[in-house]
Amino acid sequence: MTIEFTLSNRQRDLQAGVRSLAQSIVRPQSLRWDREHAIDEDFLRNLARMATSMGHGGLGTSASLMRQEEEAPAAEKKPKSQNLTTVLASEEMAWGDAALLLCVPGPGLGGPPVRASGTPEQKKRFFGIFDDLTVLKWGAYALTEPTAGSDVAGIRTSCRKDGKNWVINGRKCFITNGARASWNVVFATVDPALGRAGHRAFVVEKGTPGFSVGRIEDKMGLRASETAELVFEDCRVPADNLLGGEEKYVTKEGFMTAMKTFDNTRPIVASMAIGIGRAAYEYARDFVKDHYVLSRPIPRYAAIAERLARVGRGLAAARMVTWRAAWLADEGIENAKEASMAKAMAGQAAIRACIDAIEICGAEGSIQTDHALLEKWFRDIKVYDIFEGTGQIQRIVISKRLISNLKSF
Amino acid sequence: MVAFRPSEDETMMRDEVVSFAKTLRTDARAFEKARAVSEETRRAAHGMGLGSLAIPAAAGGAGLGLVTQALVEEAIAYGDPAAAFGLAGGASFVRAVLELGSEEDAAKILSRYTAEDGFKRFGAVAWGERKPNPERAGFSTIATGGKITGQKSFVVNASRAETFVVFAQVDETQGWDGIAAFVVDADAPGVTVSPRAATLGLEIADVADVKFEDAPATKLGDGSAFTEKTIRFFAKTGLIMAARAVGLAQAAFDVTRDYCDGRKAFGKPIGHFQAVAFNLADRAMDVDAARSLVWRAAEAWDRGAPEKEALLYSAHAVSFALEAAMRCGDDAVQLHGGSGFMRDYPVEKFMRDAKQLQLCVMTAEQADQLAAAIEVGQPLSIGAILPTPETQTTLV
Repeated sequence: MTIEFTLSNRQRDLQAGVRSLAQSIVRPQSLRWDREHAIDEDFLRNLARMATSMGHGGLGTSASLMRQEEEAPAAEKKPKSQNLTTVLASEEMAWGDAALLLCVPGPGLGGPPVRASGTPEQKKRFFGIFDDLTVLKWGAYALTEPTAGSDVAGIRTSCRKDGKNWVINGRKCFITNGARASWNVVFATVDPALGRAGHRAFVVEKGTPGFSVGRIEDKMGLRASETAELVFEDCRVPADNLLGGEEKYVTKEGFMTAMKTFDNTRPIVASMAIGIGRAAYEYARDFVKDHYVLSRPIPRYAAIAERLARVGRGLAAARMVTWRAAWLADEGIENAKEASMAKAMAGQAAIRACIDAIEICGAEGSIQTDHALLEKWFRDIKVYDIFEGTGQIQRIVISKRLISNLKSF
Repeated sequence: MVAFRPSEDETMMRDEVVSFAKTLRTDARAFEKARAVSEETRRAAHGMGLGSLAIPAAAGGAGLGLVTQALVEEAIAYGDPAAAFGLAGGASFVRAVLELGSEEDAAKILSRYTAEDGFKRFGAVAWGERKPNPERAGFSTIATGGKITGQKSFVVNASRAETFVVFAQVDETQGWDGIAAFVVDADAPGVTVSPRAATLGLEIADVADVKFEDAPATKLGDGSAFTEKTIRFFAKTGLIMAARAVGLAQAAFDVTRDYCDGRKAFGKPIGHFQAVAFNLADRAMDVDAARSLVWRAAEAWDRGAPEKEALLYSAHAVSFALEAAMRCGDDAVQLHGGSGFMRDYPVEKFMRDAKQLQLCVMTAEQADQLAAAIEVGQPLSIGAILPTPETQTTLV
């Protein structure tokens, strides 16, 4: 092995395929989805079918791939570069429309914890529902609460054992696909005083008595994606739905389940941010080509050139750090620090890209029209420095791995 | 394939340089005072072949690519960023001969530098001039009839160079398209080197002006594709400076991280305060991102990627790494507090060296103009994207 940056043929084909889909089919509908707060079901059905055939399911690995992985002998497990490949495809798709990636049917963010901690029966049960691609189904991940966002250890949603069931009480908020999900991975605590050791993860199925959907959020951006509040009032969940079974929770395992999810998803979210940032960057670059008479440079030209280049290199830097985080995961090397670096850098670089792109294009950049998506990207990108761990949380993750004996601040 | 791991050979080589660079850190203040790297150290570096990595085998070098060079340059700069400028040969000089000269030129000129006594020899590139020519674009230094006349400035290795590569105007009507490169012997008649300048940082670099009065000059290369070759020379040498910037940034970061572990305030290590820890996290991201960008650009050149691609990656690496090194140097002093301002600690030197390094070969601003020109499809012209007296001068 040496230092190299050449994509495999498979990766190049996938990248080109997703790029052409994003350009010819996704982008033209992007603004309409944003206005309608939804993506056509037929379109999602086709996309789900395609994603499965490509072995790529937007956020994380598709359900069928997770199943295959479970059933295949160890030697035949997923191709070695799965994380990097997913990162490449996510950037292209987000370049077309970022909300779409959050709407792709499948286990979504709920997939990784089930995969990491579920028993074989649980994996079969919860991933099995996605086998029929003609029916749109989602999984979701419910962690955040009104009073516990970044401070995940501080969740208050309670759970107690009652015979063969667990009884859950509390509220979850900002849950992507939470309302339409067939099941949510829900984190609750047996006793807040126990901290992380008290955490339990459940798969709560739609229609479970005591489980209901609260408000659907009205957001700055990513408006085609559903963000829901979930309410649990004496919600009775069968003991079989405790993720991993009871013996798994002798230690801090519950919390670690919540956190493990992020080492793999943060580089993907980072690459989505880079996709949006690149879209804005390319838009501004093309605007400059079209609107400035380059043979007659005016003082503003050099200033714009520098601004464009700063945006371009910021994205290039974030992309390299993101590739590295994904590559480490593919190599089976611990990457918590690098995954957080990717997420922190990409979020900021892409926000910078969207802000500067509008500035470069002037008033025109702020106006919503069907072929000018700058104002939409500006609205979409902000949350990339917030969800999956804010920029500040990423810095906590990073600094704990830089500074000796730093347990908490 | 994508991989962020040096090969076994590269790792062995780097490890060897890393242990050599530890002695550079120890001696850094002594070198600074002497304004030179000791002969013993130069001899050791020469023995390891550090100055001749890029020189082709035909001229006695190792003929290695930019990835290996970047790894080695980073490791040297990690020991002492200034020392990288005091080892024999000279990064700019060697690169100028390789990019602008023919293979025969390279073999003829550079074989002296790979010879056993090469540790004594330096070369220099005379590019800069202090002021723009008020009459026209281009250099005021003129080459005509095999003789050069004019004053060049900001020349690294000026007073110790045996050989100069001199850039001069050959056609005064052609502006920046009317220049060419020449080789001039330092002891030729008409060559005068001014006293060494005192600089903010990188004191070892030996910066001075060189005056040429009808100095005999030989043309370097056949002059074909001159602009492209010159831009390539700046991009690749700039990339080496970027690799040094990564070494500097990592050194400043590591020293500071250790300090934040040990220094206590309000009853705990200062690294346990978020304001400090987040700053360290930001600088760690700077270092890692800069290194990846340098690797990517170096790999693009080594792989023979399309020229524009390699130039764009180099521009990203140069601008990002130079600015990252400056941030790391600045924050290193800041987090050391008053102690950081004292010369007992190495960080004030890192900070001065970082600013000086930002002015070596290509600045971040120039790299940005290069990147933007590629991205918006502007022609790449020397006047618009390279350091000229009309835009912004650099030490070359």
